[in-house]
Amino acid sequence: MSGTALAPDRTRSLLQATVPLGLGLLVLAGFLVLAGFPVMPAVNALWRGAFGSWYAFSSAALVHATPLIILGLAFTLGSKAGAINVGMEGQFAAGAIAATWVGLHLGALPAMVAIPIVLAAGLLGGAVWITAPVILRIKFGITEVISTLLLNFVGYAAVSYAVTGPLQESGRTYPQSDAIAASARLPQLSHGSRLHLGFVLALVTAALLSVLLRRTTWGFRLRAVGAGPRAAALTGRIPLTKVAGVALLWSGALAGLGGAVEVSGVSYALFQNLSPGYGFTAIAVALLGRERPMLVLVAGVLFGALEAGAGAMQRDAGIPAVAVQVVEAVVIITALLTARRSA
Amino acid sequence: MTLRRALVLVALLLGACHRSPVHATSNAFKVALITPGSIADAAWNAGAYQGLQQIKDSLGAAISNIEAHTPAEQEEALRSYAAQGYRLVFGHGYEFQQPAERVSRDYPNTIFIITSGQRLSGNVIPLVFRIHEATYLAGMLAGVMTRTGKIGFIGGMELPPIKLGLDGWIQGARAVRPDVQIRITYLNSFDDAAAGKEAALAMIRIGVDQLHHNADAAGLGVFSAARESPGVLVYGANGDQKSLAPDRVVASAVVDLPRALLVVSREIQHGAFTPHAESFGLGSGVIRLAVNPELERLWPTGLAERIKAASDSIIAGTLKVAGQAPR
Repeated sequence: MSGTALAPDRTRSLLQATVPLGLGLLVLAGFLVLAGFPVMPAVNALWRGAFGSWYAFSSAALVHATPLIILGLAFTLGSKAGAINVGMEGQFAAGAIAATWVGLHLGALPAMVAIPIVLAAGLLGGAVWITAPVILRIKFGITEVISTLLLNFVGYAAVSYAVTGPLQESGRTYPQSDAIAASARLPQLSHGSRLHLGFVLALVTAALLSVLLRRTTWGFRLRAVGAGPRAAALTGRIPLTKVAGVALLWSGALAGLGGAVEVSGVSYALFQNLSPGYGFTAIAVALLGRERPMLVLVAGVLFGALEAGAGAMQRDAGIPAVAVQVVEAVVIITALLTARRSA
Repeated sequence: MTLRRALVLVALLLGACHRSPVHATSNAFKVALITPGSIADAAWNAGAYQGLQQIKDSLGAAISNIEAHTPAEQEEALRSYAAQGYRLVFGHGYEFQQPAERVSRDYPNTIFIITSGQRLSGNVIPLVFRIHEATYLAGMLAGVMTRTGKIGFIGGMELPPIKLGLDGWIQGARAVRPDVQIRITYLNSFDDAAAGKEAALAMIRIGVDQLHHNADAAGLGVFSAARESPGVLVYGANGDQKSLAPDRVVASAVVDLPRALLVVSREIQHGAFTPHAESFGLGSGVIRLAVNPELERLWPTGLAERIKAASDSIIAGTLKVAGQAPR
């Protein structure tokens, strides 16, 4: 969508990324004035909740940012190859289910072994969830926009089924799973902070993806297919459907990884409302990050900070949750608009 | 290149974090409420929010509240409040039990009260409502009032406190009309009022004429369905919901959340609190049947006395309502 990086583009793209955030904050201020809330205490709380202390930044902002970054990268990977994966909610759910299921049975293994297994289960769960859309696209040319989207609802239902059926907690009353084994949980990066290893994983994934896309033949083919499928096909050297299919498969796997990270790093159990719509917000994160892995990382952190600050705004300044959702919506819409204009 | 820019941005952000954290200095009694949904649902969450307001007004407490919808947000909220030195934190729903137990290990000075909690664990205190004692009475009313012999229940999710209320409602209806038919729908949502309305209309179409719900904001749809359907009567849940359809709501099984929260907070403020599960039934006044006086004219003679007698027997313990509240 954004094409290949050309030098003069860079400052512009950075500018375009900040415009939505600025506009979102302006709308927030307007909303607060109209609704009769004091603006400065609110903005103050927003700032403190996101960046005001190391605790706030690491335990709230970055914890929120982690799934957004991973899913933002997942979207980016598909989108670079011209495949739009809007089913990340479903793949996130599938990854979370798989990770929980595996995580419940790994008590005997040391963390060094258990954690990779849990994360692999997440990748696999996500990949399985997107398999049908990939096949439908390759074999029948059915657009993945529809098929992945529809599988979101199946994903929600699968979680509901899991937590009231096979994975329900041993008391068999509440719609949640038992807590996964201690060795299957991602360690926290420092004591007393909620920031877990999943954030490092998100950083590594972003760096890895950045290198893969820019510096490898695989990445080049992928971008070629996304930028101009016709031209790519004419070279006769790029198997079009296969490249896009593989990208889509990995996109789903990454989204599944996001689910596994959320379970093993934050909730330690499967719940029905594990994701507050990460799979959709992450699309905005990817677009705001101009679909460049390292910028997606930054956009993810900014969105995470916004959500953390939003929480503090409610907590410390008494601003209703609705105001916060309005801001997020404005940022997302503006991000989409600026992304479209430059496309 | 872009990478370097990104790193610079991250560095800037990190730099911005090196401010000292804000610490609470005042000695005020600080009470926080975390709700799993919107405080504008006119039921479960709204009731708790009112309670919080009363805690501020009656006890002079410094209060704060937040909506936290996902497990991640819920634990974060619990931890943030504890870290800010809140003495009392209400987690308004069973889902707060596990995260509260995790957080409480690091904050022994904060008391976590979990509404509909599952167990007592250190300073994590369950607040148990024997709502089935009131829904039993509502069920009696429905059993008497139904013309078709079909009554319906619309629940948010199949959670223990909700099943408990349903059990009471069924038992009450059967007590006065043993052959009553009961239809049950779970919406799998506490927010989707359209789904609530649809489920209610579907029931009305098959002849259900008495509807009870326990679905918070999604339950609002039940009232709107009843308003459009002549002859259908509704029984509210958690709050006194007669204002939602004054000519249709016969009664509401009320959990007086404000009162419960206030009672517990007062105990803790006075320092005489030893951790124990807090259980409320009809006898406490926290659980009660709120009757809509405008519809009392529809009641057959003697019904009021029967309801009163049943209520007295429940309080006295001579009438056992089936559902067993979790301990």
